[in-house]
Amino acid sequence: MSSESSTAPEVTAKRRNLLFIVIGVLSLCGLADAIYLTIEHITGQSVRCTIIAGCSEVLSSSYAVVGGYPLASIGALAYFTVFSLAILALFGYRIAGQLLTLLVLAMCLVSLWLIYLQAFVIHAFCQFCLLSAIITFTMTGLALLLWKARNIS
Amino acid sequence: MKKILPFIIILLVLGVALVSAWALKKRSSGTVTPVTNNPNSPAPVNANDTVVTGVAGAEPPHILGPNSAPARLEEFGDFECPPCGLFHPVLVQMHKEFGDKLQITFREFPLAPAHQHAIAAASAAEAAGLQGKFWEMHDLLYENQKAWHEAFDVRPIFEGFAKQIGLDMNRYQNDLNGDQVAQRILNDGKRGHSMGVKGTPTVFLNGREVPFESLPADKLRVLINLEVTNHK
Repeated sequence: MSSESSTAPEVTAKRRNLLFIVIGVLSLCGLADAIYLTIEHITGQSVRCTIIAGCSEVLSSSYAVVGGYPLASIGALAYFTVFSLAILALFGYRIAGQLLTLLVLAMCLVSLWLIYLQAFVIHAFCQFCLLSAIITFTMTGLALLLWKARNIS
Repeated sequence: MKKILPFIIILLVLGVALVSAWALKKRSSGTVTPVTNNPNSPAPVNANDTVVTGVAGAEPPHILGPNSAPARLEEFGDFECPPCGLFHPVLVQMHKEFGDKLQITFREFPLAPAHQHAIAAASAAEAAGLQGKFWEMHDLLYENQKAWHEAFDVRPIFEGFAKQIGLDMNRYQNDLNGDQVAQRILNDGKRGHSMGVKGTPTVFLNGREVPFESLPADKLRVLINLEVTNHK
């Protein structure tokens, strides 16, 4: 092995940082999606029927509001928190990485619940909600990789 | 510097997110598009509004109220669209409250394939219209929307409505798939597209698009009142 090659802990740290960066970028995509849905909800546009099926049915359902707040706004807050934790973890705040994994797992459970509601209760799918679910599931996979990397190190 | 850098990045993203949300909200709620195809329509309240002319829709249109009404409301609707179903009682209420001061026009804008029965419902209404009973069918379709929305085959349900309002059933069956009904739906759709309609319900009041958030009864009443007052 040459003297320039990285040691195992360095490789793990680099991989972990890369995962934080990818999670951060994904959370920004989720944040944009959630902001769009929140504004559509507030202005009432989401409630209008369009040529794309599903969104109006999902977003005008009683499940789209929690405690008087659009569910999408809570999603936006969650994505922003994920982004903040990913950045803090990237800069060495260890606790941030652990909180991030827990938060992403919670978001994954909520996404599963929302997909169940769309499939079996509302009987309609909203593509923006599905995009959010895909982002969350991808982040969950990456967060689990982080968890594994942390255990190895 | 390295200690505060993550917080700077977080604050920067928060700022961008808030500004984007504000810009998006401004764009979404500021869609009051002035549109008219009728030279007799009262002038827009805001003289700076540009008047855009849409192409003609189905003739004659389905109209409630006199042509001399100071407030002319034109709705582009889809009978299978739940928000249109919710808007229906609002229009009924406005019609009762304003009487001859408000003219209501309904335009077909079936959102197929998003709504699988939208074309069938529009056809049923237009076929009833050929026998002078459009509004009766219109009301039944909206009032019973939930009952037929999830049905696999809506034809027997619509036939039931046709019998209920006393249509000549032979003529109704012939008209349902006839050219005249299809052409009327197509013409209304063309008018909607030319006026920038992308979803339903889309409502124009004296040629200007009413923002979606102004469609609840209390807000729409204010807008109609304004048109009636300005006309005096």
